[in-house]
Amino acid sequence: METVQNLLMGFGVALLPENLLLAVIGSILGTMIGVLPGLGPAAGTAMLIPLTFHLGPTGAIIMLTALFYGTQYGGTITSVLLNVPGEAASAITCLDGYAMARQGRGGAALSVAAVGSFVGGIVATMALVVAAGPLTAVALQFGPVEFFSLILLGISLLMGLAGTSMIKALMMGIFGLLLAMVGIDPIRGQPRFTFGLTELLDGISFVPIIMGLFGMGEILANAEKPFSEIVLAKMSSLVPSRQEIRDSVAPILRGSLIGTALGLVPGITNSASSFLAYIAERKSSTHPERFGTGMIQGVAGPEAANNAHANGALIPLFTLGIPASPTIAVIMGAFLMHGLVPGPFLFKEHPAVVWGVIASFCVGNVILLILNLPLIGIWIQILKIPYGILSAIILAFMILGAYSVSNSTFDILIMMVFGVLGYLLRKLDFPLAPVVLTLILGPLMERSLRQSLEISQGSFLIFLKSPVAVVFLAAAALVLIMPMFRFFRRGKNVLSGEEPA
Amino acid sequence: MRRIHQAAAACFMAFSAYIMWESLGLEYYTELGPGSGFFPFWLGAALGALALAWLVQASRLAGRPAEEAFLPARQGIVRILSLIAAVLISAGVMNTLGFQVTMFVFLVFTLMVLGKQPIWLTAVIALVGSVGVFHLFAGYLDVQLPASSLALLASLGL
Repeated sequence: METVQNLLMGFGVALLPENLLLAVIGSILGTMIGVLPGLGPAAGTAMLIPLTFHLGPTGAIIMLTALFYGTQYGGTITSVLLNVPGEAASAITCLDGYAMARQGRGGAALSVAAVGSFVGGIVATMALVVAAGPLTAVALQFGPVEFFSLILLGISLLMGLAGTSMIKALMMGIFGLLLAMVGIDPIRGQPRFTFGLTELLDGISFVPIIMGLFGMGEILANAEKPFSEIVLAKMSSLVPSRQEIRDSVAPILRGSLIGTALGLVPGITNSASSFLAYIAERKSSTHPERFGTGMIQGVAGPEAANNAHANGALIPLFTLGIPASPTIAVIMGAFLMHGLVPGPFLFKEHPAVVWGVIASFCVGNVILLILNLPLIGIWIQILKIPYGILSAIILAFMILGAYSVSNSTFDILIMMVFGVLGYLLRKLDFPLAPVVLTLILGPLMERSLRQSLEISQGSFLIFLKSPVAVVFLAAAALVLIMPMFRFFRRGKNVLSGEEPA
Repeated sequence: MRRIHQAAAACFMAFSAYIMWESLGLEYYTELGPGSGFFPFWLGAALGALALAWLVQASRLAGRPAEEAFLPARQGIVRILSLIAAVLISAGVMNTLGFQVTMFVFLVFTLMVLGKQPIWLTAVIALVGSVGVFHLFAGYLDVQLPASSLALLASLGL
């Protein structure tokens, strides 16, 4: 009953005209970022954080989260019409979505994808509403020992599942933690790794780092080759046939459940959710051989799954304070910049903010469903803009975003340094997701470790005295050690990430 | 590619050595527990160990002649270096020339490097992206962007 009351209070906040407008702006910007090639959700969200500085925390988070799930909708448009996924999670949609577009059924594919995304988003939001109470009650019992173990588990999961090479994922995770060490030590007040630069005393802001690693790195990688012209599939009626509607219902529901469940696990990407949903549809179909030729089930299931995943991944952030993906880590950074610490205390200390934001997920998904289909013509026009022009505009906005963080050109330099680094790391097949997660979680992780050790007067045995911490640490060790077993069973390729010849 | 991987692993090892060295200059342990240098020291050590493992693996892998070259073609390198230079120069001169002039020149340059559009379109995009964005951000979004510190440009409202 209390949950329903809280949710209603949340709707009261989310439906305020100002917050409604911010959700609309976030949804539109998110869809645009999803449509634009070369600007992923992490860099796009980071780029727009400075624009939220003059907003209150509720409005800022509503806009950024709307932007986040807007990118999931936007990615579908390019998958269906261009055969180019705007987001990695929409890659699987290309198979049947583009095939449908070539048969003149692209409009129906986009409509079903939008409805699927909407249902997925709502199912995951309801899961968050239901899980919020019990999970936060458990999390409120956590002290620094349990919290450190939980963060370690979250980071281990992300690194363990980040890519094919465990060594590279671990290196990137540690690199992110080291970046988080720059600045004044929060406990002792001693400056660390500042090279004598006053600009680094407050640490390196995560915004230029993420824009550099993800946005700038991608633009530099794309600049290697001349840009090719894009060929759009023709648009058709947006109204699906009755048969298409009937065929989509079960896949949407299955995809929503798969996405919500997998979204809870840090490290599992929404590409994995959409891929699993696609496999589930193939398995349950009486005509699996027709997948890839324009089956609506191949669009409905994965699209519902990837949006459910995006919304479901917010559950660990809101209840435990653990981001499950790079973009959610960026949103967590935005929370921190606005003076809010995501996690169980947020429900206690700022119920209006947190329930307002949760209710805004429902509102945002409705906005996206209403706005996206009528605006499809605009997205198609944006897709027709040559990539050279788009890249230059994106670069200009990244400079603007980096500068606006602290009104300093130093942040533009930081962005550029990390842009070059992101480009090189990409070429060396390093996964970049662990850097973001550990960069954001690093200070919290170090603080909880040091607080734990101060309580025990330096004894690491404190981590073995808490059963919860033992379970978390054992799970983290299992995730990290598992590739070692595979290494001995199958050979060196598991650790190195090299595929067997 | 094997050489590149080896060199990159060596760079990571050098970086980890630097981190460990710097950490030793900080408080490692205090009466109350770990000091400022404790966490980074062990992170540096772990990074060094992982980089070493990567170096060993990279050295064991046989070279693959069919593998894509690490460096792009000459034109690609020129485009990449042009973009990097444009961003760095923009950061360097923004406080002197102001946002509007810097961004106008930056956009004209990058549009010429990356795109093949008519000059009038380049000029329109550059104007909107510089002067337009400046007034939009300052007037409506409350984000102050730098004005020129040169008297002449400042007198022109730039």
